[in-house]
Amino acid sequence: MSENEEVQKQKYVTFMSGNEYFGLKIECVNEIIVMQEITAIPETEEYIKGLINLRGKIIPVIDVRLRFKQEPFKYNDRTCIIVINVDSTTVGLIVEKIAEVVEISEDNLLPSPTLNHSDKAQQDRYVYAIGKVGNSVKLLLDPEKLLHDDMKVLEQVNAEEDEEE
Amino acid sequence: MAEEFNTEGMLDMYLFENTQLLEQLQEIVLDQRDADCFDDDSINEIFRTMHTIKGSSGIMMFDEITEVSHKLEDVFYYLRESKPENVPHIELVEHVLTVSDFIMGEMEKLSNGEDADGKAGHIVEELDKFLKSIKGNDKEEPVRASENAAPQQFYIAPMATSSSHFFRIYLTYAPDTVMANVHAYKVVFSLKDIAEDLLHYPEDIISDESSGDEILENGFKILLQTQATKEDLQNLIKESYELKKVEIFECTSKEFMAGFDSFGSEILIDLESSVEEIEKRAQENEKEDNVSLEDGGLFIAPDSIPEIKEKKTIAPGDFVIESKGVGKSKKLAKDKNKKIEKTSYISVDIKKMDQLMDLIGELVIAESVVLQNQDLKVPGLKLDNFNKAASQMTKIATDLQDVIMSMRMVPLTNTFQKMNRIVFDCSRKLGKDIEFEMIGDTTEVDKNIIEHISDPLMHLVRNAVDHGIETMEERAQKGKTEKGRITLSAKTESGKVWIGVQDNGAGLNREKILAKARKHELLDPTRLDSSYPDKEVFQLITLPGFSTNDKVTELSGRGVGMDVVVSNIQSVGGTLEIESTPGQGSLMLLKIPLTLAIIDGIVMQVAKTTFVIETGVVKEFINVKRESVVRKPNGEEFVMIRGEGYPMIRLSDLYHIEGGKQEISDGMIVLIEVDGKSVCVFVDYLIGKQEIVVKPIPDYIKRVQGLSGCTQMGDGSIALILDASGLIEK
Repeated sequence: MSENEEVQKQKYVTFMSGNEYFGLKIECVNEIIVMQEITAIPETEEYIKGLINLRGKIIPVIDVRLRFKQEPFKYNDRTCIIVINVDSTTVGLIVEKIAEVVEISEDNLLPSPTLNHSDKAQQDRYVYAIGKVGNSVKLLLDPEKLLHDDMKVLEQVNAEEDEEE
Repeated sequence: MAEEFNTEGMLDMYLFENTQLLEQLQEIVLDQRDADCFDDDSINEIFRTMHTIKGSSGIMMFDEITEVSHKLEDVFYYLRESKPENVPHIELVEHVLTVSDFIMGEMEKLSNGEDADGKAGHIVEELDKFLKSIKGNDKEEPVRASENAAPQQFYIAPMATSSSHFFRIYLTYAPDTVMANVHAYKVVFSLKDIAEDLLHYPEDIISDESSGDEILENGFKILLQTQATKEDLQNLIKESYELKKVEIFECTSKEFMAGFDSFGSEILIDLESSVEEIEKRAQENEKEDNVSLEDGGLFIAPDSIPEIKEKKTIAPGDFVIESKGVGKSKKLAKDKNKKIEKTSYISVDIKKMDQLMDLIGELVIAESVVLQNQDLKVPGLKLDNFNKAASQMTKIATDLQDVIMSMRMVPLTNTFQKMNRIVFDCSRKLGKDIEFEMIGDTTEVDKNIIEHISDPLMHLVRNAVDHGIETMEERAQKGKTEKGRITLSAKTESGKVWIGVQDNGAGLNREKILAKARKHELLDPTRLDSSYPDKEVFQLITLPGFSTNDKVTELSGRGVGMDVVVSNIQSVGGTLEIESTPGQGSLMLLKIPLTLAIIDGIVMQVAKTTFVIETGVVKEFINVKRESVVRKPNGEEFVMIRGEGYPMIRLSDLYHIEGGKQEISDGMIVLIEVDGKSVCVFVDYLIGKQEIVVKPIPDYIKRVQGLSGCTQMGDGSIALILDASGLIEK
């Protein structure tokens, strides 16, 4: 892309979780549905709440707050499920409240500031950038990391083991 | 030229047909690899296959494939015509396999959307050398018929003739011609350059695959207006192997304008070589196949195994080739009035099948939504008529399921053939002399399952060749006289397919396995070696990183194999059993469910969670009193039923479900049995028996032991499907 072209704009779906607003690129969002009845799956991570039946398609749902290792919250009628699709994996994200769809131009994106303490960085790994909208900021989430990072870690461990053989 | 030529849709057909041909070819070759030479039928069959491939590749302009198949065809033409003796058979087998590998490889590239850019020069050279060498053995040099030469020459219209001629052309193809419509198109294409006007019937020969059958049945008709003479046309459309008969009639422009209606009267070809004969032969072949179908029963006793006949397609090669001589070429094509009553097949995109399957699954769910609808439960409703209609609908839905299931069933033949090839390759690489035997290869399994077992099976077969069968010297030392033998068998029993890989090699070394397991600290240090039953010891080799082979070979021995095999098999709900006798060989027995999609299940409830278990494993439901349950100090519980003790699993404890019933007498015990092992499962209450559509638990959630999938219930909620063998192992 040449520089004199108009600055790229991206649309984000924003939602509230805890006290912060988060944003997800709109391309990866399939739909937003109201809270559904969830069938729990035994022996899974705490943040995986279970399965829902989305018009005949069975998809897993995860609780974003638990994913961020924050306090659990009580589901109410504002609670929503954002159905996202990453690498052909469809997953529902349970969020406290849907905010709005915002447009953020690229020059309003900042790398996520961090003190680089290793354990904090670990917590921070889902946020790849922050976007400025007016006076507020949205934490922009990397959906792939949100779903998959521990799997990747596991795979790496496995791969290393394989190499050792 | 190539741009002009529309290959869309034809490429798929080309790949599909030729893959089938090559698979058949491999089958024939491997079937006779231990013989001294190919029998006449096989030579004809290989010749024909190569010829067909050459022809269709020529049309598709895949020059390298054309050339290679042409060369091999030459070799077999020579074998057929001159019947030379002292042909180095095994070398020939290898040549055929190399060629078929090359073509397969190219076709793979094509199906991946790449270009067929492989170079076949060296294979052609080898074949030339080989042909020379066998010709050297036998001085007689047959003259190769020139009918196949230069398939891509195109005629250029001569300008000399002043006025246009009109022709009616009638083409008859051999009844076994593959892709007759493509051949017909070839003719049309070659006429294009000289034609001023051209009509043909059937009209759509490019995208409509059924036109091929139409052509075979009624011939291919062309109306042509051209400057060329009849002789020119005759040169252009030569009778060839597939093209049995070319008739060219000159006609007036009036007749030309009348179109195809004026055709009929001269359709005369009526020849004695009878369709009945072909039919009869086809039936005989079928009969033979059916016989071999039934002997899937035995896994071990090799002496009771009749030879499995190679499967033949209808259209036996011999009669076609015989009729090729001069003057005899009219002996075919009587299939005008009489229809050959053979089973006809169509090939369907597997995606469409899956879609249909899904839809039927949805239908089953929708059915239960309707039949168990809350609205029906209002007291005082008269539902007699509704129930009648409902039971009719249930019946249709069940039939529909049965049909789709049977459509998805494919025989294991192809999978087994691949193993044959692997045995052949590996045994030659290792210098072992190994016989390969197949029993019950026509056993049918769900297509999805076949995809999952192909790799594990390959692994097991390789293992058997590499580790199972000893080298020739070792066998001689041990005084084993018979050849190394690997037997692949399949049969259906109690709703599962049993696939066995049996070898008569060294067997597993119990001590070695135990020693290795000790080293890796896989065993309970307090238990004595001797306290482990054989079965348990042999299962150890399926653990990750476990390989008893001393050295890693090219083929196997890194110990990453068996655990992959097992996890693959488990992913389709199968199990692997290992039996072995030192010095006499081992048996790897896979037990795999016939189908995955729809099962009959018992629905039960624990607190808010609904579980389903396959009806087949449930022995009984029991209400027991509190006194029958005994709790051991380590927390395990067992139930005394009719004097026998069974271990008990409380699903609510196992899966940490809150709110489940605790009091034994309040709930229900479900006794399940798998492979002789029984366990009691304690649930809150039973809901009923129902057909359920199995859906996988999304990949995102890691595998939970004891759960094999999930399903949607009539009310839209989700139930978890219990995996009985997983539960028992837990």
